[in-house]
Amino acid sequence: MPAKPKVAFFDFAGCEGDQLQVANLEERLLDLVSHIDIVRFREIKTEKRDNYDIAFVEGSITRPEDEPRIREIRENAKILVAIGACATIGGINCLKNFINESEYKATVYGDFSRWYSTYAARPVSAVVKVDMDIHGCPIDKNEFARAVKELLLGKIYSPPKYPVCVECKMAGNICRFEQGRLCLGIVTRAGCGACCVNEGSVCWGCRGIAPDANMDAAGQVMDEHGFTWLEAQDHLRLYFGCNINKL
Amino acid sequence: MKSDFSHYVPRPATLVAKKELNELVTLFEFVLDSGKPLAHRPGQFIQVSIYGVGEAPFSVSSPPRTDHNNFELVVRRIGSVTNSLHALQTGAKIGIRGPYGSYFPMQKFVGQDFLFVAGGLGYIPIRSVLHYMLRHRDEFGEITVLVGTRNPQERIFTDQLAEISRRKDVQVLETVDVPDDKWKGNVGVITTLFPKIRINTDTTSVATIGPPVMYKFVIQECTRLGIPQNRIYLSLERHMKCGVGKCGHCQINGVNCCLDGPVFCYTDIAGLGEAL
Amino acid sequence: MIAYTIYLPQTRELLKNWATELNVYVPTMVEDGFYEFRPWNGQVEIAWDYDLCYTTLKRFFLPPREEIISFDMKKYAASPVIEAPKQLLFGVHPYDIKAINQLDQLMEMDNPDVNYQARRDNTLIFGLEPVHVAETAFWSSMGAASVDFGYDLYWTRISPGAFFVQVGSARGEEMLKVGGPVEKSSVAQKEAARRAHLKVLAEAQKHSLKYDWQKTPELVNKFFNNQVFWRERSQTCLSCGSCVLVCPTCYCFDVKEEADDLLQKGSRYRQWDGCMLKGFAEIAGGHNFRETAWERYRHRYMRKGKYIYDKLGELGCIGCGRCVKACTARIANPRAVYNEIWEAIKNEV
Repeated sequence: MPAKPKVAFFDFAGCEGDQLQVANLEERLLDLVSHIDIVRFREIKTEKRDNYDIAFVEGSITRPEDEPRIREIRENAKILVAIGACATIGGINCLKNFINESEYKATVYGDFSRWYSTYAARPVSAVVKVDMDIHGCPIDKNEFARAVKELLLGKIYSPPKYPVCVECKMAGNICRFEQGRLCLGIVTRAGCGACCVNEGSVCWGCRGIAPDANMDAAGQVMDEHGFTWLEAQDHLRLYFGCNINKL
Repeated sequence: MKSDFSHYVPRPATLVAKKELNELVTLFEFVLDSGKPLAHRPGQFIQVSIYGVGEAPFSVSSPPRTDHNNFELVVRRIGSVTNSLHALQTGAKIGIRGPYGSYFPMQKFVGQDFLFVAGGLGYIPIRSVLHYMLRHRDEFGEITVLVGTRNPQERIFTDQLAEISRRKDVQVLETVDVPDDKWKGNVGVITTLFPKIRINTDTTSVATIGPPVMYKFVIQECTRLGIPQNRIYLSLERHMKCGVGKCGHCQINGVNCCLDGPVFCYTDIAGLGEAL
Repeated sequence: MIAYTIYLPQTRELLKNWATELNVYVPTMVEDGFYEFRPWNGQVEIAWDYDLCYTTLKRFFLPPREEIISFDMKKYAASPVIEAPKQLLFGVHPYDIKAINQLDQLMEMDNPDVNYQARRDNTLIFGLEPVHVAETAFWSSMGAASVDFGYDLYWTRISPGAFFVQVGSARGEEMLKVGGPVEKSSVAQKEAARRAHLKVLAEAQKHSLKYDWQKTPELVNKFFNNQVFWRERSQTCLSCGSCVLVCPTCYCFDVKEEADDLLQKGSRYRQWDGCMLKGFAEIAGGHNFRETAWERYRHRYMRKGKYIYDKLGELGCIGCGRCVKACTARIANPRAVYNEIWEAIKNEV
């Protein structure tokens, strides 16, 4: 990697909320930018160049024509980083995978549906090799900053593999199950600092299933705490759509 | 005793020289900036910091010596700290904590015959003991060295080993698990070398270090030869994070590998279910 | 034994006085049925009759995340970071004091941990005799119903308006007299405190081990190789670490670091970790010495039941029952597991 690597941002199907988080780093961005050269970033500049070392990719792959584009990015970049749930785990785009193609096409595009190509949503890693994931919906800007710094120091940032419960306990929250609420923290990859639970909500699973999550046990836990299969399914499908075939 | 001394603060050291041993493994020579010797004993480990990247434990590969203060680490590229180490240029700085842990009781071995059994990178800490003995050759009896490697490309210290095997007072036997076209030596796991050695089991102590799977088989062979458990020493690899018995990562049953290990006499761990 | 009697209205004045000197934390109800230690600010209502503080108090000595060194990446220099705010924990139950006493010993042992010790040295602990027992608690059978050290003062409510306050240290006594002289306790008041203790003890003994806790090390050790038992119990383990993270005697940590945005300086910090998490015993290269959930599950019960005992002569579990609540799979109850082992082999021990 050159001393001052060139960095580019790309987006596929997504809301650009992750790139917005990067822009939200505001004055911190200035310090970080002293080590890198941003050649392409729609959120903050219009000029763009196609010579880059690190590609940050937001959004899921949802159309056949996305594939050649992401392959080209992969070829140009020394390091490809998926940012945000849509890119890392397929994200909420995968909700459409639970209904059939003609239905979702008709719902979204109505009478013009045959003009548009679209297929089951998938994460970037389903098409090309991804070197590093920055999870979350949206990503955490501090985690992004950390990941960039580690890249610059020659390290590939690896998010925690354990579930959100760890960070929830560190934050000192009362367990949502004790409050009679359904929470996916027990199987979701940590790294967010349990931010949603800290703010009074539950974990929605936006960082994807933790690598060694015990899904069978999670099913039993939800069952024993009195949640119906349907309630559990609604929760699980929101973000885990791409990971599980029969949610 | 209360003081403000924090065990968690590294001391600076400087890279004096580095030498590639194979595609993934490099020998590094460091010296503490204080100008003092590391004062380690064979088998001990240190914690190496690359600030901003992290800290990782490494066993010291050079023997303790009095003629200069440099010490050697042999590092395989495997994670972020080791990658960063490989990228260092001579003159670069690192942070050092330690030496930590138990060591091979060299005084006990004086006058004894010695058998080294090194599997793969296990040769790195073994080297500290072996070279100590070679530097004090007249204090020890017969020395036999068994070295096993996965394949010829992964062999390390080939020149040094060749030199040692030319000596009349040391017997060196090597094997590889998977040979290539050029390999003329023994083929097979390290235990296939045991039938080829002649040692006096009444006077021989053993030091064995290698991958986790190796120990059981080596101990079986030693036991078959009639070497008692209390003369078998081994070094166990665990992830020491704090190095001072607090963080819990290196626990083997109730034993802290960073305090009571990494070097153990086999009798002391034979009863620990998680040791081997 | 030196003891004083303090009346409820006096406590407010005392708290005001103490709060000028240090950060005072008191138990209070944060949600229906859940209690926590929170900073006392005059408005917080003290829950004198709380049954269990939800979060472990170890966070006051071993914060979830704590900077331990700062470094300069250009000069390659590092220096210790030791933070130790002056604090007072007012209302700590005896089992939690016992847990802190244990941490004190373990952090002192072999190589003293200066970060822990600095925080501990700057902390005053005022114990409080419980009046209610949490449903999941079993401290009375773990030798943790009372402590004879580890507190600066020990408060027992002997009537709706009065406390019997036993002195544990000179500093504690000084704090009690900070607003002027206080009344020495009478024999009758001492007797009332004894009765209060016996009353809660009787309540606590409803949940207990079926055997003397001293037998635990031998029991779990005999079960070490009973893979079927550990595998069965751990089948629904989520490896989420909740049981060890909420444990007041668990202190394992991970060490991490982060550079500043200019990549010139940085800090190394430690944060809570736990042996129940999958990556805990993994080494570089990927080999994991406790690869499966059942091995980690066993390790926890061994550690609580034997390994800590081998070091300190007491169990690593003080029976607070926090893990019992924290485990959503409901498999983390030491009382249940140890009782089961006892039932299985009581004839052999």
